[in-house]
Amino acid sequence: MEIFYQYLETISENFFDPKKRVFLGYLFSAFLISFIWLTFVKKEKIKQSIYKIFDKKIFMSKSAKADYVLFLLNIIILMFLSPLLISQLAIAHFVFEYLHSQTILTPLGIDINYMWMIPIFFTFSYFVLDDFTKYVTHALMHKVPLLWEIHKTHHSARTLTPLTIFRTHPIEGVIFVVRSALTQGIVIATFYYVYGGNITFVTILGANLFSFWFHLFGSNLRHSHIRINYWSWLEKILISPAQHQIHHSIKKEHHNKNFGVAFAFWDYMFGSLYISKSDEDVKFGISETEHKYENNIIYLYLSPLIGIYKLIANYVSSKNLKVKKQKFIFNKQTR
Amino acid sequence: MNNIKFKGATLAKLSFVGAVTFSFMCSSITSVNAGHHGNVYGPYPITEKSYKGTKKNSVSYGGQMARQLLHNSLKKLASKGSPSDPTLAPEKKMLAYLNTKDKSKSLPIMDPKNSSKFPVKQKMIGELSGGANLSGKADKRIQTSWPGNMSGVDVIKFMIKKAGKTKGGVDTRNGMNYPQLISKYTMGAVLYHQACDNYLDEKMTASSKPNNKPYKKGAYYTGKEHSWDEAFGYWGAAAHTMKLSAAQSYDVAKKKDLKAADYNKDGVVDLQTEMTYAHAYYASSYDKKGKTNYLKTVTGAFIDGRKLITAADGNKLSEAELNKIQDYVQIICSNWEDVIAESVFKYAGSVYKDLSKIEKALASGSGMDKAMSKYLKHWGELKGFAMALQAGPDNKSDTFNRMNRMMGFGPLMPNLSQVVGIDSSGNYIKDQGSSIGYYKLHMLKIQNLMADKYALKAKVNDATGGMAALLEEVGTKKSAEND
Ligand SMILES: [Zn+2]
Ligand SMILES: [Zn+2]
Repeated sequence: MEIFYQYLETISENFFDPKKRVFLGYLFSAFLISFIWLTFVKKEKIKQSIYKIFDKKIFMSKSAKADYVLFLLNIIILMFLSPLLISQLAIAHFVFEYLHSQTILTPLGIDINYMWMIPIFFTFSYFVLDDFTKYVTHALMHKVPLLWEIHKTHHSARTLTPLTIFRTHPIEGVIFVVRSALTQGIVIATFYYVYGGNITFVTILGANLFSFWFHLFGSNLRHSHIRINYWSWLEKILISPAQHQIHHSIKKEHHNKNFGVAFAFWDYMFGSLYISKSDEDVKFGISETEHKYENNIIYLYLSPLIGIYKLIANYVSSKNLKVKKQKFIFNKQTR
Repeated sequence: MNNIKFKGATLAKLSFVGAVTFSFMCSSITSVNAGHHGNVYGPYPITEKSYKGTKKNSVSYGGQMARQLLHNSLKKLASKGSPSDPTLAPEKKMLAYLNTKDKSKSLPIMDPKNSSKFPVKQKMIGELSGGANLSGKADKRIQTSWPGNMSGVDVIKFMIKKAGKTKGGVDTRNGMNYPQLISKYTMGAVLYHQACDNYLDEKMTASSKPNNKPYKKGAYYTGKEHSWDEAFGYWGAAAHTMKLSAAQSYDVAKKKDLKAADYNKDGVVDLQTEMTYAHAYYASSYDKKGKTNYLKTVTGAFIDGRKLITAADGNKLSEAELNKIQDYVQIICSNWEDVIAESVFKYAGSVYKDLSKIEKALASGSGMDKAMSKYLKHWGELKGFAMALQAGPDNKSDTFNRMNRMMGFGPLMPNLSQVVGIDSSGNYIKDQGSSIGYYKLHMLKIQNLMADKYALKAKVNDATGGMAALLEEVGTKKSAEND
């Protein structure tokens, strides 16, 4: 009973907590942005715009329905898994204690005059570093064949809705939880050490100021059919919804592009940036041919495990060391 | 017919169970909420059957209050040390407050002193008791927390000797703040040690100080009554503590709230029954922050225990009664121990912060004097309380050894020197310590150790508490999601 209550709470938290991306307020702002985009930029009729935003073919597609089920089931799985994972507090304590035994990074004596800047600096740094580790993790999910098997679940979506973020295999969920814990633990402990405990987050409605902006300005449109693109100079700094949609494209030239979440400069720096083109048509999925069970729940849970098993079996049976290395660690075939 | 009868029996059973449950609930509610409310420690009637005199109140703990005031006075005097005094008057004065039993009522109380804002009833130690000193009651075991393998009482004497010769009682070369060291260690080695390692320990067994005999020949109180009263006196709470808030008890100790202190409304503070001292004061300092209830938990257990002993009416305590007394002792001494551990935790946190300021002063070249004076004061409190913790009945030798090793015999000085021992003529031996960073790490580890081994809740100056709060603020992901 207690667990069931906790379950319902976790579900509703996703929609009522401004720290979460699918918080109703952000979904509403995403709607407004789409509406403005379609009526004022794309010059469509009001009725037409609304019809397009709430397209039944998209929200009620087989692919979208699978997203919804995965959302509900993964919460249960994560409820049991996450207590087993290392906590960010344990990581933070470890890092904080370690910092006392080194001399490269030393606590700053803070000049009281700059005090007001520290929370903004800290909040921004945290957001940027968190975004960077997301970039790295996402790139690895594509480049390491074992991880790609897991990440395929997300890319198997044929239609994109804001809830497609939950179309994620629980193993990937665990990887993301660990990434988040490591980032939080390390960044917070380091700042706490350097600034002698005088640090606070700048928040709006309890959410990090910059996450709040990121979500308010349409983070939910990354997974949608509303193809909003920015000026190309801006797409080198911030990832536009269209750019992430390109990341989901089945076209070969779109593979392994735009791993970034909020910032595009990571992609720019590491050569994985793809600027959107307004005339380009984008189809979502892994390949053109539809797999018979690609939206079957059991298949979605099991296929990454089968894929990993096959990879390992291949690796063990292969005698050629060169082939081994290529196939296992960095395989150019993945995306 | 049969059926109805069966139903009746079940109903009767159910209502019986219901009634028992209900009364149980009520009793537990009252013991939580109203149990101690309005209770004052004493007066309690005379139950000692051999007593034929005219006294009406069996409560007596004048000796303990005299010792509370000797401790207060000693602390005051410790900051009056002077290296230029050839007669060593400061040392002699301090030793008087350590050793004298003030039969002639000539030893003045140094703190609290009478003032218009906080008038006090007694001016001389002897007015409370002419037969009590501190040295006779100090821990006689060898102390490993202090260099030189001395007994507790010799450690205090050693500190007094050093304090007398040091300007203001603070040795800035070795880092010793004697007023703090003497005060906090005396709180442990005399007050806490006597209560929990003696009166509430040996003297609460069936054979020692039985309740059907006077405490000593001709006394108007029984063995158990007086043993219990003495332990209460060492705790240092005003008799009417249960009628005050923690903040009021705190202000009474600070001599700021005459109205709260003067329970019998005679216009003066009776230092025997109306004052907050030492351990009770520290308990109130934590409780007034709202997370803990040490002061009333301990004081309430003292009152409940005393009522139980009084109710035995001068007869020997039964096994059940002795067991109940043991329950109260457990509450009193474990919470008392936690209050001291909270202080170790708090001052380890202060020392951590002070060291950061010292690092800053070293880097910027200014503010060192101010930072050092705070550091040495807090280190003295830390060390004193750490030593006090070891004066109790509970010998957690592993915890103590780790704690002592991490803080050392003296504070790590900015030039990285640290006291490591005492030579045969009583001078400190120093060595190079590690780094300020490592010493700060030790403070963190002392906090972790205290939080680990004791049931701490106040956790004042938690050096990593802010970090936990920040992590709490960013929150954890509970669902599997992509970005
Ligand atoms: Zn991807
Ligand atoms: Zn995506």
